[in-house]
Amino acid sequence: MNISNGNLRLAYESIRTTKFRSTLTMLGIIIGVVAVILVVCIGEGVKRQIGQQVVRYGDNVVVVRPLSEHRGILGGDSVPVGAAAPLTLKDIETVRRLPAVAAAVPLSSVSGSIKGDRQVNTPLVIATTPEFATFIKPQLKYGGFFEASQDANQVVLGSKIVSDLYNDSMPLGQTLSYRGQEFLVAGVFKNFNAPPLSIESNFNNAVFIPYDTVRNLTGVEPSIYEVLVRAKPGTNMPAFARSVQATLVQSHGGAEDVAVSAAGKTGSGTDQTLRLLTLLTMAAAVIAFVVGGVGIMNMMFVTVTERIHEIGIRKAIGATNRQILKQFIAEAFVISCLGAVYGVVAAFAGIGLLRLYTSLQPIVVWPIVIIAPLVAIASGVLFGSIPAIKAARKDPIQALRHE
Amino acid sequence: MALIELKDVSKLYGFGDATNVALDEVTLTIEKGECVAVMGPSGCGKSTLMNVIGLLDHPSHGDYYLNGRRSARLGSSQRAKLRRDKIGFIFQSFNLLGRLTAIDNVALPLLYKGKSPLARHKIARAMLERVGLHDRTYYYPHQLSGGQTQCVAIARALVNDPEIIIADEPTGNLDTESSRLVMELLAEIHKSGNTVLFVTHNPELTRYATRVMYMQDGMIKHDEQKPLGVVGRYAHTVIYGEPESHEDDDIAGVSALMKARERNEPAEKPARKTTKRRKTTKKRGGTK
Repeated sequence: MNISNGNLRLAYESIRTTKFRSTLTMLGIIIGVVAVILVVCIGEGVKRQIGQQVVRYGDNVVVVRPLSEHRGILGGDSVPVGAAAPLTLKDIETVRRLPAVAAAVPLSSVSGSIKGDRQVNTPLVIATTPEFATFIKPQLKYGGFFEASQDANQVVLGSKIVSDLYNDSMPLGQTLSYRGQEFLVAGVFKNFNAPPLSIESNFNNAVFIPYDTVRNLTGVEPSIYEVLVRAKPGTNMPAFARSVQATLVQSHGGAEDVAVSAAGKTGSGTDQTLRLLTLLTMAAAVIAFVVGGVGIMNMMFVTVTERIHEIGIRKAIGATNRQILKQFIAEAFVISCLGAVYGVVAAFAGIGLLRLYTSLQPIVVWPIVIIAPLVAIASGVLFGSIPAIKAARKDPIQALRHE
Repeated sequence: MALIELKDVSKLYGFGDATNVALDEVTLTIEKGECVAVMGPSGCGKSTLMNVIGLLDHPSHGDYYLNGRRSARLGSSQRAKLRRDKIGFIFQSFNLLGRLTAIDNVALPLLYKGKSPLARHKIARAMLERVGLHDRTYYYPHQLSGGQTQCVAIARALVNDPEIIIADEPTGNLDTESSRLVMELLAEIHKSGNTVLFVTHNPELTRYATRVMYMQDGMIKHDEQKPLGVVGRYAHTVIYGEPESHEDDDIAGVSALMKARERNEPAEKPARKTTKRRKTTKKRGGTK
């Protein structure tokens, strides 16, 4: 439909002279566009961040977890607490004997406060073996991981806990006390990507401590919440995971009390969350567009009622129904376009702010940045057409009499 | 071939007992180049007649030929196009769009005709010049005096070079001086060959007409051909409005009925005319 020929300019004039009303109308569209773009971009960002966890361990790693665990609520610092602790060092030995296994390390959470320059009361202390360093993608920022020796009183720190413990940003060679023992800071990790909405523990807040040292210190075997198993290169990963599972079930006397998953799939709950999030996005988008469209429709109805007299004049001087229709659709179009543009700008601002001030890392998804405003414009024009049709059908005489 | 030809045209409003006859089998022929003044009390059907001739309204019964073309049953878009090309409307309440400048108002019919912006501007400017408002081109209607506003409206009516100019009480909202200005303009348009129809309550303005029609109860009671510059013979005896009570009468205890009887007496005293015209103006919205 040809809506040019001055109609757009007239529409723009009309919108400019009724700024307040038009802004309110636009608000519906703006909110719709912002909501859709932001939610999709945040969802995509979360997906990407979760994807990075695969990279954290490498894709030839499987994770073994006890099944009867109480999982921590979604969040960074919480560590799944092994209740029945079915995983033991013996299991690790069993797994290591599998031919395809290159390495296996335990991860174990231990309690107790830590004191460096300052005291941290409830730190995340992870007891593991020196081989853990080979599983980790981000390398050490300073120093090195602790060596394989039983009485090594060494720790390696996550990047974030450093500032909680020490005044110095590079505390290499400094000591901290844990359970009455002095430990030497051997290394500091580079920053791990902290995944939001993930049940992964946040290694940035962790203090890594040798497993054997902790066992000697406490006299009991720290309960293992996770075992990382790396396959030799070229291994079929699903089959590998199954064989690890079978081995462990066999050694546990047939009890299916462990779960083995590929490292990338560690947050199976997170996948589901993400799917729900995507659905939620869709629902929010649809609602936002409908609300925006209805907003436009309401405003257009008000506009039409307010301007019945004008419609009468226009018809008296020779405007056809079609021309009146075009004019009102042009107005809806211009309002929707302005709203869509403002919406995209606002969405980009929102993405920027989220990147700056939250741990969410929204990614600009270009298809949605283009599609969202187009859909908004389409729904605006669609909903704007209904009052426009009403306007076009007005009887000229009655319209002229209307004050 | 007559320019305008009405055959037994009736216009009814409402249904059943509430039916209101606005036009009662009007048969009428207007030739090209005539300047017709239509007079009559409020509610006598003047405006309805104008609307039917101007293709704003359908007649309920009867036939209407415009330029020999049967026009009574045309569809809305064809009527709109005829209005655009053949007919220029001038209203009592000016009916300019307040959000547009004088020139944009004048150019509006050209927009609907599909002229280019440049052509629109040029023609509209020439029209404003013709009505003597070239120095008010970019004024908004609220910045203009009543007379100037009506001149802009006249320029708008003329802009598509229509054959028929229909003016429904063009001077109804204007003072004497502005009325004269507007009527001179209409006379000039008439002189240049257009057919002009105008409704008026002012007998003096019939001087500008070549023909005066007096309407009552939806019928044309008198139809008088007359030379320009002469007041219509019956112009002063037109009865305005239905009998109605008036504040002053109520205070004086004069009943509406007595007032009506007094008014129906043949000799109208000129002194009373002003009061009555005021009443008519008040009622202008209700004209059907």
